[in-house]
Order: sequence, then C-alpha cells, then structure tokens
Amino acid sequence: MADDRQAPVRRAFSIANMGVGIAGSYLGYAVQRAILGETKTRGKLSATHTRAARRMADEMQTLRGAAMKFGQTLSLQTGTLPDETLAELATLQMNAPPMHPSLVRAQFKQSLGKEPEETFRQFAAEPFAAASLGQVHHAITRDGKRVAVKIQYPGIRQSLANDFRMFRALTKAAQASGHLPKSAIDEVEQQILAETDYRREADNIDFLGRQLAPLSFVDVPVVLREYSSDKVLTMSLMRGRHLDDFLAAHPSQELRNKLGTNLFELFYYQLLKVEALHADPHWGNYLFKKDGAISLVDFGCTKYMSPALVAHLRTAFLYPGSTHSAEFSRRLENYYQEAGQKLLPETRRALIRFADNFYRPVYPPRADEARPFDFGNKNFLQVFVAESKNLVRARGMFSELIFMVRAEMGMYQTLHRLKARVHTSRIVKKYL
Amino acid sequence: MTRNASAHKRKRTPARPRSRKTAPATRKTSPRPGRRATNKKAIRDRIVKSALSLFQSKGFDATTTKAIARKAGIAEGTVFNYFTSKDDIALHFFEQEVDQAMAAVRDNPRLRKAPLEEKLFALVHSQLEYLAPYERFIGSALIHALKPSSPLGPFSHRAMELRHRYLRFVEELIAESVPRQQNPLGFLAPEIFWIYYLGALLFWLYDTSPGKQNTLAFLDRSLSMGAAMLRQGKRHGR
Repeated sequence: MADDRQAPVRRAFSIANMGVGIAGSYLGYAVQRAILGETKTRGKLSATHTRAARRMADEMQTLRGAAMKFGQTLSLQTGTLPDETLAELATLQMNAPPMHPSLVRAQFKQSLGKEPEETFRQFAAEPFAAASLGQVHHAITRDGKRVAVKIQYPGIRQSLANDFRMFRALTKAAQASGHLPKSAIDEVEQQILAETDYRREADNIDFLGRQLAPLSFVDVPVVLREYSSDKVLTMSLMRGRHLDDFLAAHPSQELRNKLGTNLFELFYYQLLKVEALHADPHWGNYLFKKDGAISLVDFGCTKYMSPALVAHLRTAFLYPGSTHSAEFSRRLENYYQEAGQKLLPETRRALIRFADNFYRPVYPPRADEARPFDFGNKNFLQVFVAESKNLVRARGMFSELIFMVRAEMGMYQTLHRLKARVHTSRIVKKYL
Repeated sequence: MTRNASAHKRKRTPARPRSRKTAPATRKTSPRPGRRATNKKAIRDRIVKSALSLFQSKGFDATTTKAIARKAGIAEGTVFNYFTSKDDIALHFFEQEVDQAMAAVRDNPRLRKAPLEEKLFALVHSQLEYLAPYERFIGSALIHALKPSSPLGPFSHRAMELRHRYLRFVEELIAESVPRQQNPLGFLAPEIFWIYYLGALLFWLYDTSPGKQNTLAFLDRSLSMGAAMLRQGKRHGR
C-alpha cells in the first residue's frame, strides 16, 4: 500500500535520471550508484541485460517498466532525442530488475503452488536471459524436455499502471493539442499491461505458431501449459544466436542477405497475411541460425491488426502512380477514415512526403526491381525517423499506426545492423 | 466429549515445567518415552492449531480457552497443562514462526553463499509464508501487543527474548557479509531491521494485490537497497 503511494515518486526520479543520462550527464546515475552500490550477483545479472541491449546507457537497463517506450513516444513527438537514439529505443526491451534465486522461487511457488525444483527434474537457479518484465531460466521437465521458463518480476503490473498515471499527467499538454491522442495512450497502456499476463502471451504463441507454420524459415516455441500461469511461462527451448553474437561470428554477405530477406518477409507476411504482428522488435526476441532461419522467442507484444485497415493499407503500398495524384490521396483518406480519423491537409502532406522521401527509394514500385535495397547505408534510417516524427507533428498518428511504425523501425534497425541487401518490393508484392 | 478428551490427559510430563503440578495422570502411560514425547507434541500442536484457527475466524479477544479445548477435542484443563493462557499459545506460535524461518535460512545450502539481501529476503519471506494462513489474527495480535500488560507486548520478558534471538540471528547474517569491525552502522543494523520487519509486516497485512505480489517486490527492493547501504558504509568506513 505504501508502495503504491511511493512508487510514482521514485519512478519520477528514475525517469528524470534517464533524461539526464541521455543528455550526456551521468551525474544522476553517479549519485544513484553512490547510494546503491552494486552486488555481485546483481552485477552478473545486469551483464546479461546489458548484452541484450548493448549500446544503451546503463541506467536504462535498471529502469523498470515502460519508461523507454514512453521515452520513445514522447521523443517522437517532441524531437528531443537524436534520431539514431530514437531508432535504438525501438529495439529496447521492457526490463525488470534481476531476481535472486530466492525471489524466483517465491514468485514461482506463489504462482504455481510448488517450487521450481519440485516441479522440474532440473531447474537452473541463474537466469540465462533477460525477458520483458522478467527473466528466463533453463529447466528440464520430468519427461526430459528442455524448456525455457520465463518468470515475471512481482508487482510489475502495478508499477506499470503507476507509470502510465504519471505519463498521462506529464503529457496533458500534448494530449490537449491532439499531438498525442488520448486514444493512443490508452492503446499503448492496454497493450503494455496486457504483456504482464503471460497467459495471453501463451495464446499469442499458439496463434502465431499456427499462422507462421507455412514459413519454413521461422520457428515458434511450443507452450507447456501445465507449467504456465499468468506470471510464469514455460515453453520449448529455442535454438539460435542473438544478433550481437551472430554478427560477432562475421557472417558472409550472402548469409546476412538471406537472413535480412527472411526477416523482411516475416514482417510483411505477418502484416499482410496473418494481420497480426510480433510487435516488439527487441533484438533479444529473435534468434538467428546459421542457415538463415529465425526463432522467435518473446510474444508479449503481439498486435492483432484490423483486417479492414490492412485492406486499405494494401492499396497504398507500392502505389505505382504519382503520390501527388488525387487517387493516392483518396486511398490515404480511406485508410484514415477506416481508423476513425479525419485526414487533415497537413497530415496528408506529411504522408505524401513520407512516401516520396522514404518509401519510394526503399520500395521502388516497379522498374529497377532487380536491384536489392542496401540497408547498410544509414541514411534510410534517419529519413524514416525524421518522417515518422514529421507525421506525429502533423497529427497523423493513431494507435495501430504507432505499433506498426515501432515494429517497422525495429526491423529496419536490425536490417541496418545486418547490412543486408533485400529485394524489398518483390517481397511486398508477393503478399499484396 | 469430555470423557473422550480425558484420554489425552495421560501424559505425565507436561510441556513446560511450570505446568507440571497441574497435570493429572489418569492412566498408565505408554512404556516408550519417545512415543510419549511424540504424542505430547501432537497435542500441543493440536492446541496451537485449534487456537489459531479460532483466533483467525473469531478474533483473538473473542476466543476463550474453553473454545480452544473444545475445538482441539480435549478438556479445558488439559490446555493448561501445556499453556498458561491464550497469550501463551500465541507467543508459542510466534516462537515457532521465528524458529522455522531461521532454520529455513540456516538449513538451506543454496543460501550459504547468497548475498545478504537474499538471505534476509528468505528469512522474512518464510516468516510471512508461515503467518499467511492466519493473516487476520496477525493484524489483531499486532494491536493486542500494544497493550502494556500483554504478554505479547514488546516489553514482556519472553517476547523480548524472542526478539533478541531473532535479531542476533540477523546480526549474524549481516556479519557474514559485512564484517562487524568494518561496518560503522553495524551496531544499529539489527535494531533498524526490527523496525523494518514490523513495517514489512504491516505492508504485507495491507497488501491487497493479487497473491501479495507487491509485498514480494517491496521486500526485494527495500532489502537490496538496505544491503547496498550497509556495503556502502563498509567501503567508506575503511
């Protein structure tokens, strides 16, 4: 109870701290460090966390909750962060503080009624990965299956709800001006709070496992419901390497192209065929294999799109005519209308600019299709972020679009790090 | 009922020496003392269990020793062979609670090399787990303990002894991680911990989150902060 009251204050401090860190001063962080120090196990654990999102400042790693997602939305709209950082934010994970084995045991028992050591034949006390809102442990079931057990940090739902309360208060002005629609915050909150229910995530895994079966290069885990609850999720262990480790082995350009192509195809297959997106593009959520196959591992943030919206989106993708034509405007209008938004003239201008500056070069609608797009060149990413920001300023963001843009940005970020060359339009055309 | 209950009076040696003279022997006792002791413990446990279930359902004040005896299926007099009053039963319960929690930390090989915050977490958490079925009673016991005359109160001899034992154990745990002479806050730490423990108990009692999730988070965050502060003190102290 006391925690409810204190939490927003403490987290306000933390969020302020994050701002300080990004602005280039580590003063706030140093103060916090001086007060708190660091223990051995915690240090070890946070090393796992740091590897997962390697280039971000340390204080971001210790920050709980959805602060970075707020940071992203907020800076998209105010332009306070450099574009590059913003792109990295897209791939950040919602981290929870690391848990020591006694807390893991308590949380597991509280949720499933028995200690993990009583439940499994073997259970690793130390986690092997940080996951959204918790951590993941290796285990072996009584019948010998190797599994990954994801355990949620206690009380995380409450603290996320606190974050949102504060975020709403902080962004009153932006809400009033329509730059940050209330419905968009509602949507983000709903989606993020939903991530705290691992049962829902288990449903997402089952769903995507069925839907993505036709893609031979994608692996989806299998949930073991008897060892799962809303706070514990047990699934088959996935193989592969994280992006950093994958790149560290100096994969050939050919392999990087193959992987990039698979990743790209996976995105558009989900968006246009399945009409649902594995929408958390954090690097830790993908494992890559030497044959270019991809294993998906975290399904908390799965966004189910509206089929009607996707249908309108299809008509605008790879539009062969002029982006300044009345026909293209009409298609945009239909799309926004379907989303329950009136297309303002400034929004239309922003969208056309977006199409001209980003989509036309990256997704050439016809002609030079034979030439793959090279994601190794950084410019495209900067253009994408700049145009996204411009679209927000032009009040063109609505809830579904936010998730799509985030997932898309994350995908581009990964393709850029892979320096992959991908036949973009050819793949999109397959699913139009 | 009463006759049936008298069968349980066969134990000659009562649990505590002071109640010895009140223990009547009605029958020949079992020849094996081991079995007798086991039996005695079984009755004692039954009394405590019945009492707690009544404290929990009816409240501490409204529960009489007579009701406890009836629930345990023994004569009221038998209760007094084991305990002097219901306060005595409650204290016995708290002693058990503290003992099992200390044992849970000491006897767990996994905790031997654990950092201080984890040991303290395991200690407090196993206490709360033990108390969990009697949450309502714990709340009223806390209030009851504030009465100056209450044997549960912080100034009664036995309660003080229990607290002392508990805090000495905490002190040992701290000393394992932060050597005494390096810890300028050391002499205060157990006392501070006692206040912290009462606070944690209150937090737990008023925690309405499902499965008391917030208590787990509160314990984890506050203990790691506290342990970090002790360690920090050590670094600056030297």
